Amino acid sequence: METLSNLAFGLGVALSGQNLLYCFIGCFLATLVGVLPGIGPVATVAMLLPFTFGLGPAPALIMLAGIYYGAQYGGSTTAILVNIPGESSSVVTTLDGHQMARRGRAGPALGIAAIGSFIAGCIATLLIAYFAPPLAEVALKFSPAEYFSLMVLGLIAAVVLARGSLLKAIAMVCFGILLGLIGTDVNSGVIRFAFGQAELADGLGFVALAMAFFGITDVVLNLEHKEKQQVFTSRIGSVLPTLADLRACFWSTVRGTALGSLLGVLPGGGALLASFAAYMVEKKFAKPPRAFGEGDIRGVAAPESANNSGAQTSFIPMLTLGIPSNPTMALMIGALMIQGIAPGPQVMTERPELFWGLIASMWVGNLMLLVLNLPLVGLWIRLLAVPYRLLFPAIFVFCCIGAYAVDNKIFDVYELAALSAVGYVLLKLDCEPAPMVLGFILGPMMEENLRRAMMISFGDPTVLITRPISAAFLFAAVALLAAIALPALRAKREEAMQE
Amino acid sequence: MRIRSPKDFWAGLIFIAIGGGFVLLAQQYRLGDMHRMGPAMFPTLVGALLAALGLIVALRAFALDGAPVPRFDARPIGVSILAIVLFGIALQWLGLIAAVAMLVLVGAYAARDVRPLENLAHAAALIVFSVAVFVWLLGLPLPLWPTS
Repeated sequence: METLSNLAFGLGVALSGQNLLYCFIGCFLATLVGVLPGIGPVATVAMLLPFTFGLGPAPALIMLAGIYYGAQYGGSTTAILVNIPGESSSVVTTLDGHQMARRGRAGPALGIAAIGSFIAGCIATLLIAYFAPPLAEVALKFSPAEYFSLMVLGLIAAVVLARGSLLKAIAMVCFGILLGLIGTDVNSGVIRFAFGQAELADGLGFVALAMAFFGITDVVLNLEHKEKQQVFTSRIGSVLPTLADLRACFWSTVRGTALGSLLGVLPGGGALLASFAAYMVEKKFAKPPRAFGEGDIRGVAAPESANNSGAQTSFIPMLTLGIPSNPTMALMIGALMIQGIAPGPQVMTERPELFWGLIASMWVGNLMLLVLNLPLVGLWIRLLAVPYRLLFPAIFVFCCIGAYAVDNKIFDVYELAALSAVGYVLLKLDCEPAPMVLGFILGPMMEENLRRAMMISFGDPTVLITRPISAAFLFAAVALLAAIALPALRAKREEAMQE
Repeated sequence: MRIRSPKDFWAGLIFIAIGGGFVLLAQQYRLGDMHRMGPAMFPTLVGALLAALGLIVALRAFALDGAPVPRFDARPIGVSILAIVLFGIALQWLGLIAAVAMLVLVGAYAARDVRPLENLAHAAALIVFSVAVFVWLLGLPLPLWPTS
């Protein structure tokens, strides 16, 4: 009952005229930018961050939530129509979704993606409302040792699920942690690794970092491989799925939502794993087993509902523990920090209007996406035809102004340039930026918690494995690593990534 | 001994350099001990781990086959970075309007198919857009014109 009254309180916050407007603007802009080819959700969120700078914490957070969903949905639209997955989580959608588009059924594919996402979003929102508070209470009892181990587990889990070489991904996490340590050490007040630059006292700018790695380098790589993409804009047809479609998709949506909600909570899980797993399950269980991979609408409904519910429940670790499970969440945490809020279990008790307002606005945002997308699909499709040579200078403008506007520092613009060069070289060597961004966010927190844990234990590092919960976290991390190192499982993982 | 996976080899070397660099730089700060960790302790630990991982990655490149290092296409990355730096310089001395103009007019040359007239029009459009949205609508404190 308390949950319901809290939700009602949250709805009151989210439905206030001003917040509703910001949620709408966020959804709208993010879908608009997310649909544009070659701009993934992370880049979308990063580029739209400046829009929230001038707002107070609650409207900013609500707008960000809108941006987050809009970006996710925009990614699915490009996946279906252009066969480019905006983000790894919509890779599976391309399989059946694009086939549907090729067969002239792009409309229903887009429609079912929106409807499935909406249903999944509603259920996941309720789950968050019920499970986040008790989890936050548990988290409040964690000692620094537990926190440190939990972060190690979170990072390892995220790395295991990332693409490419495991060793390089862990190395990138370490690189991210080190970059995160640049600036003033909170404990001693020493300014570290700043090369005498006063501007670096506050550390590297997170927005500049995210934009360099996900905005600028993306543009550069896109310009290098100029591939002609075929866009299916001629025959979209009605976006409303037929009754038969809806009946076929019902159980797929339910299964997708359930799987997605579950997997989204896992550290490192999130939307990617959810959509893959949902597609696999669908292939196995759906009856009659029609032709998946050749335009089966259930092959769109299941992964889309799974990735939306997963995207949503991945807010649970973020809100209760302050731990990002994917780069987009890392950006959300970065945005919170810009607003002067330290994410973690205390947010719920200290700023209830933020916490419940955000949860309620998730639901409002999902509804808005549905209302926005079904009628506006025609407009989004026309955006797909914008040539890239007009698009990328606009991305430059957004990134540069955004990097500058965080702190109004010219220095951050140069930082953007320098980090773009670094990101370019690393990407050329197949080093993924996603683990690095997670490390960057968690680095300072890990140092602080390790330091406190060592303080309490008088410098005895075994405290990490003698406290049962902490030991369990570390054990899980080691088990994950061992599992991935086993040849059989490794083959499976590569197979799954290939697909 | 032949490098069989050049990508991994170079990635490993870069990791060793970064990790080692952070460890060396950290030594100018107080190390402390595990009980009272100084500002140098955590960077030293993580830097050492990074260097060790880099070493493994680099050594593995002699044992496992892998992709060659792809060609570095100097134009897109070079022009992009140049445009961003010019934006920074222009923003500091000449204001937002000149900065966006620089960024778009120069940045467009990161692609090969540049149409000069279209580029001019595009720059004008983006100037109007950024002034309208970022300065008027969002009220971000960006100087529009040269400040002296």
